[in-house]
Amino acid sequence: MMNGSDRELDFLFAEYRATVEVPEAGTHFMPKLWERIESRRGFAFQWKRVTQVFVGSAAVICLFITGMLVVPRSAAALNHATYLDVLAEAHPTENLAAQGIARYDIPESNR
Amino acid sequence: MLVEFELIQKARSGDDAAFNQVVVAYRKRIFGTVSRLIGRQEDVEDVAQEVFLRLYYSLDQLRTSEVFEPWLYRLTVNASYDYLRKQRRRNESRMADLSEQQVMMADAVAGGRVNSEEQRRRQVKEFVGSLLDSVSEEDRILLMLKEVEGLSIKELEKIYSVKENALKVRLFRARQRVLKAFESSKKVVKRSEAPID
Repeated sequence: MMNGSDRELDFLFAEYRATVEVPEAGTHFMPKLWERIESRRGFAFQWKRVTQVFVGSAAVICLFITGMLVVPRSAAALNHATYLDVLAEAHPTENLAAQGIARYDIPESNR
Repeated sequence: MLVEFELIQKARSGDDAAFNQVVVAYRKRIFGTVSRLIGRQEDVEDVAQEVFLRLYYSLDQLRTSEVFEPWLYRLTVNASYDYLRKQRRRNESRMADLSEQQVMMADAVAGGRVNSEEQRRRQVKEFVGSLLDSVSEEDRILLMLKEVEGLSIKELEKIYSVKENALKVRLFRARQRVLKAFESSKKVVKRSEAPID
């Protein structure tokens, strides 16, 4: 239910709508609008460029880090193989046979 | 719609002439809405330009023709809201502590005792503006769209992407606050008119 004040308020709003004059667009409206569009476009372009550079640099850094991680691994694999050699060299079969760990067969030519 | 969707699609694909046509078609409507929402004639052009600027840079997000107008309204509402917030036009005063000038304004509007039509118009505008100061900028705009622009709840639903009931509640509360401010102003006027013993 609407009371008196409600109706008065509606009337006031209607009157407000009638009283507000709508200005016409000035002659500079469109040129100014395009000016603003262009200036933001310039900013957007610069921002895009900065972003591209950033993404590019990030990709290069990623590749570099990946390379760094991969290269030491292959080196480690190499070391692993060398380790066995080093171990074998450090403990010749003769020594192991003397300690009774391994059997040492004397070569045929030495008999 | 004031323009064919093909024109909007052309504008979207970077055709500046098509975008110009869209602006020309909707310029008057946007000027009207912005004028009523912000209430300051001298800044209408600036806010309207901001609306079209935002339109230009968000056209690529538009998918269907039906959403174009509610979406343009939303851009208008957002630009007007940003303007109002920047201006900090809202003062915290309620009608209960109206200034002498505002009391005179309310009195003149209520009684119709004003010298000229021009003066009355100005007073109505300022009085409604001061009544709307009793609500937040968001509610002010919502109330304006409903009461002054005459948009339906369905249209507001599309603009705000909010459920009907939530909108109704918000509108009701905002209107109640404005009504309270209006009634307070009437009381103040009556008190000021009462004979002094």
